[in-house]
Amino acid sequence: MIYLQLFLSFLKVGVLGFGGGMAIISLIEREVTRYGWLTQTEFVDIVAISQVTPGPIGVNCATYVGYTTTGTVWGSLIATIAVTLPGILAMFSLAILYLKIRDRWSNNRTYRYTMYTIRCLVVLLIGLAAYRLMTPASFIDGSSWLIFGIVLTGMLTPLLRKNKATNLLSHPILLILLAGLIGLLLYH
Amino acid sequence: MLAQLFWTYIKVGTFTLGGGYAMIPLIQREIVDNRHWLDEEEFMNMIALSQAVPGIIAVNSAIMVGYQLGKKYQHNPYLFAFTAALGAVLPSFLIILAIAMFFSEIKHNPTIEAVFKGVRPAVVALITATVIRMAVNVFRHKP
Repeated sequence: MIYLQLFLSFLKVGVLGFGGGMAIISLIEREVTRYGWLTQTEFVDIVAISQVTPGPIGVNCATYVGYTTTGTVWGSLIATIAVTLPGILAMFSLAILYLKIRDRWSNNRTYRYTMYTIRCLVVLLIGLAAYRLMTPASFIDGSSWLIFGIVLTGMLTPLLRKNKATNLLSHPILLILLAGLIGLLLYH
Repeated sequence: MLAQLFWTYIKVGTFTLGGGYAMIPLIQREIVDNRHWLDEEEFMNMIALSQAVPGIIAVNSAIMVGYQLGKKYQHNPYLFAFTAALGAVLPSFLIILAIAMFFSEIKHNPTIEAVFKGVRPAVVALITATVIRMAVNVFRHKP
């Protein structure tokens, strides 16, 4: 039963997906390749499409995978609902709690250390996803690594500068479009 | 107010590329600066909390903002929360669905294939850059 499998997989992604967009993507990658729903190359294409279309990346990814695995709108709907549901439920509980004990969380030592540990784990998780996607299918020759280097350098320039006004170089959409243009010139 | 909230999130959901983090400054401009429904501190607290639970940050923060607005102005907080979340998700859901329906037909076009050969390593670079930036951020802000 593909719909049930899809629902459970994306529900799992929704439950474990701390840290938003990229962290969610690393979890979806594991689910879709585990069941053979998509190849790693197809998955990278979807991530690229999610980046150049508006909206939350996790939702885009779930909608797309839901459609391609089932071929129906219902697949998209089920995957999207499953990926957002745990966050929505957790958020309502937290919203109710927050309005009752406002401002008390930020000074709680245990809470802050728990959150710090979660942040460290999220970084590790996304790092692992990046490493797993460095496959020969995506990196076909030396030029691929050149594009990788250009985009990485562009994305990391804000770390070197304090001034946020000069951030045009680090815009992910512009970098994706630039990489597409380079691809068109090199491989067409 | 409910219609305005829905329209705000539809607008933000349609025009922000690059995911949940990119939506936050736009929502802040609409809800805090333009409409004065919440003050800046209230808004920032809610964004921080929406990152403390799993899931899609854009959806989570929409739930949080909608709930708080409903409470503050004595409407139904659940209705407000779901309206905001639906507004945040609906535009991208429809756009991606349209792309998914037609992408498999254009995927084997040589021009599209060449573009994607360039884009694939760029996507891996974006994810790698996110890792590095988050790692730097985590080590700078130890509790």
